[in-house]
Amino acid sequence: MSLERNPDRPRIDAREKVLGKPLFAADREVPGVLHAMTVPAAIAKGEIEAIDIEQAMRVAGVVRIFTYLDFQDIRETPATRGGGGNVPGYQPMKRASVRHRGEPVALVVAETLEAAIEAAEAVKPRYRAAAFSAWHDQAGAEREPLQVDREAGDAPGALAAAARTIDVTYLHPQQHHNPIEMISTTVSFESGRMLVMEGTQNAAAFKFGLAGMLGQDPNMLDASSPYVGGGFGQKNNLQEQTALVARAALLLRRPVKLVMPRSQLFHTATYRPFSSHRIRIGASVQGKLEAVLYDVEQQNSRFDQFEAAHGQHVSRMYATSNWRSTNRRVRVDVQSPGHQRAPHEHPSSYATECAYDELAHALGIDPLQLRLLNDADLDPITGKPFSSRRLVECLRRGAELFDWGRRQHATRSMRTADGQLLGLGVAAGAYKAAVSPALARLRIRADGSTHLSITGQEMGQGMRSVVAAEVINVLNVDPNRLTIDMGETAAAPQHLTAGSWGCASAAPAARAVALRMRERLAELVGIEQANGNVHEALARVRRTSLEVEVAHLGPGQPKTVLDRMSRGLPAAAGPEYERFTAFSWIAHFAEVHVEPTTCRIRVPRVVSVVDCGRVMNHRTATSQVRGGVVWAFGAALREIAEVDPRYGRVLNNDLADYVVPVNADIGDIEVELLDEPDTQLNISGAKGVGEVAMVGATAAIVNAVHHATGKRVRHLPIRIEDLLEASAEGQPYLHESLALAKRLRDQQPAARSEAMLRKLIVGLAAGTPPYDDMSPELAELTRQQLHFLQKDLASLGAVRSVTFKEVSASGMDVYEVEFEKERRIAEVRLRADGRVDAAWINL
Amino acid sequence: MSEQRHQGVVTFTRREVLEAGAVASFAGVTSSSAADAAAPARQAEHGITQRLSTRINGTAMALEIDARASLLDMLRERLGMMGTKKGCDHGQCGACTVHVDGRRVASCLTLAAKVDGREVTTIEGISDGKTLHPMQQAFIDHDALQCGYCTPGQIMAAIACVREGHASSREQIREYMSGNICRCGAYIGIVNAIEQAARQTERT
Repeated sequence: MSLERNPDRPRIDAREKVLGKPLFAADREVPGVLHAMTVPAAIAKGEIEAIDIEQAMRVAGVVRIFTYLDFQDIRETPATRGGGGNVPGYQPMKRASVRHRGEPVALVVAETLEAAIEAAEAVKPRYRAAAFSAWHDQAGAEREPLQVDREAGDAPGALAAAARTIDVTYLHPQQHHNPIEMISTTVSFESGRMLVMEGTQNAAAFKFGLAGMLGQDPNMLDASSPYVGGGFGQKNNLQEQTALVARAALLLRRPVKLVMPRSQLFHTATYRPFSSHRIRIGASVQGKLEAVLYDVEQQNSRFDQFEAAHGQHVSRMYATSNWRSTNRRVRVDVQSPGHQRAPHEHPSSYATECAYDELAHALGIDPLQLRLLNDADLDPITGKPFSSRRLVECLRRGAELFDWGRRQHATRSMRTADGQLLGLGVAAGAYKAAVSPALARLRIRADGSTHLSITGQEMGQGMRSVVAAEVINVLNVDPNRLTIDMGETAAAPQHLTAGSWGCASAAPAARAVALRMRERLAELVGIEQANGNVHEALARVRRTSLEVEVAHLGPGQPKTVLDRMSRGLPAAAGPEYERFTAFSWIAHFAEVHVEPTTCRIRVPRVVSVVDCGRVMNHRTATSQVRGGVVWAFGAALREIAEVDPRYGRVLNNDLADYVVPVNADIGDIEVELLDEPDTQLNISGAKGVGEVAMVGATAAIVNAVHHATGKRVRHLPIRIEDLLEASAEGQPYLHESLALAKRLRDQQPAARSEAMLRKLIVGLAAGTPPYDDMSPELAELTRQQLHFLQKDLASLGAVRSVTFKEVSASGMDVYEVEFEKERRIAEVRLRADGRVDAAWINL
Repeated sequence: MSEQRHQGVVTFTRREVLEAGAVASFAGVTSSSAADAAAPARQAEHGITQRLSTRINGTAMALEIDARASLLDMLRERLGMMGTKKGCDHGQCGACTVHVDGRRVASCLTLAAKVDGREVTTIEGISDGKTLHPMQQAFIDHDALQCGYCTPGQIMAAIACVREGHASSREQIREYMSGNICRCGAYIGIVNAIEQAARQTERT
């Protein structure tokens, strides 16, 4: 059967969402709920000597304050956040010790949120701090042995033999997901069962993982996460506070709710760790890739298993028959990193796609041509065919939409009409087409309603719209009366929704269950009626309802994966399958404008063309791609966690200082979806789109910045100061700001500032200020204010002495001036040309 | 919770107030038939309280509330109005945007006590749930959302943006909507939606 093309359909839950109706985890009304607040550790490592709760307990409304003494029986299991694999993870508040800054050391529970916050601030832990390392380059950082993650041919040999080589290293900073819904945990009790409400991509982990940690029967526990206010990978696991809140609720026999403050989430939730990427490429003079060696180091906590291997998709991008990628973890005393949107694919595509751009530039080849020249027919790592690969089509179509033909090869060769430097960049990406098992249960009723319960989590990517599409495509049901349960362990077994496998797992399950329903209906009412209005058909045979259930597996997955799923364990497969390798593919084209004096970078236009298989919903898929490009913009030009190695904490742990893209940052993002089904992968022909959207887009922007400015910046984010050096117009600004930074650090006044201050005071008092020594703006201001300045200064008498006090943050040299009659504070600032551009006296 | 409305005043009985503790979240504005209302107060207050009278989405309310409480926590934890979201509690993300006397404010940075004598409008108050506000319809038409968490704040900010006269161009909309972060990155849809709704507002 050929697959129908999905028509344009609105997002199925858009109406609810514009009304503010969806109940996110912290929105559910729980009668008698208590409010909790955590006390974060103020050291990075050490022992807890004592926790003084006396003052905190006096805050009105406090019910109880928990410390490690109360939580020692919580078990650390592989499900514990920070674990992963089969290794038990780390659970804070089990012991009188601290392993990373900001981990909870006490949990206050109170009748009101205000009381909980006030009491949490009054809890006084006393620590015995120990030595620690908080950054990969500090002493004490533990470098694990090197791992080879992907290898084909003889990369070192081919590199040595190659006509042209490059060897570059790119650095990727620590970044934080920052979904706008802060992570919260609410635990309540209903008919003797425990209900955990937390915004998560993995309700299954709560039912089974949490039960294991608490020593409870998973059958007595349900997890509910019908809506997630953005996940991006941060909500993949149990959180550090989850078991604490659950245990507190069990001990108090009352429901408890904790909304983690964002400042604490920077230290308790996962993040994208710092990584460095060395790329060596050997190529022919014509640009044929002969060898790629790619070595990654990635920071990790002391106890986490998050992998550092970055070679998965980059080894499949081009025909690189001689490939070797290696990785190693560097362990320090921080909280666990984890999967953040395109967790390895974004940093690895950034590094490699920039390196290919460097190669193209060095060879004098168009970077688009370099990519077309090296297209791969087969998977270079396994030798198998790809299930589908339309990367060349993505590149060609994107070039056409973007008008790539206008690009001149030389850097700094193009300008906008208003004189800004114009740069055009290209990069490509891929993301594994993985799948997980999914169970779908469909019930149609004669009353016109339809209900689908399914494995999967809706976090904004559009899962509800995708599964609804398949039910509506196959069955003539009333779409306005279709309800969908997802993210509910009570409705269907749940599985982690991550790794872009959600759509390619749930869509075919929904299609399969709808097809099964049609078969059952045909048996019941005949084929013709089964194809008509199904509710009427049921009514005619006097059935109130009909239910069918289907468990859907990925290609080649054994039935045993259903058993794994039913125990809450991950059971995903791909991108390597028995007969093929499967990826989604994308090409990005970015236009940047760089203002030549200030070097401010804008990205007015991006064109992205994606091969994500059959498009299940055009609006949600387009929005995913735009969102991915917005994330790539953030990575290229905004986002970095500034870790203070002295204290092991993220300095910019809020949304004012951790800068994410805002509306004014984002220009046009034109998206084209090729919409070609991949029927080898599944019956819906769908591949993933949420992560491939971001892969390569940062590199396209960085490559465009190079094209505009001629400056190759090999770290992120690119900031104004990175470009000022390369900009002739920006030079004076750079020197001035560097000079200011030096004066601030050394607290040394500018050479002539004291003499200039004395000259100013004498001139003003006499009514003849030295206008020639002032900037035009200051001179104008002085003329306006001269009348009272002269009067006030003259009344103070002659200057007896001038004493330097400090350099202020705005670059003013601050002096104390002793006049005959009184002392006054005066400030003066000299420009690079020696003129005064700001002066002030406390009259 | 059940509530009874008399001339736009939400009332609670003396019995409920007493049962809920020394201080209840709602103080009764007396009404002859108030004895019929049966709704437990959501939360007893602790610490110093503040009495205030306000109108929320057109309904007059009198409350005795914790002096430390923000308008956001009053709406969510006392009144059960969950449409307004907490995204940072620091006035940095815009998810908690509501209107006070017609102007957009971050309700997390506004003490509840500050709305005494003022009019508060939230996402629950801009339509009757059947007929949408033109801005809500525009957000659907342009798919100006993904997860929906920042959406109530975006819509409240967008309505104010148009009302302020700050929606005359795409550039202006982008600038005046930059206090509302959409981490999913639905910014293009948001700008498209505001353009559409602004045109409709002009016509009417």
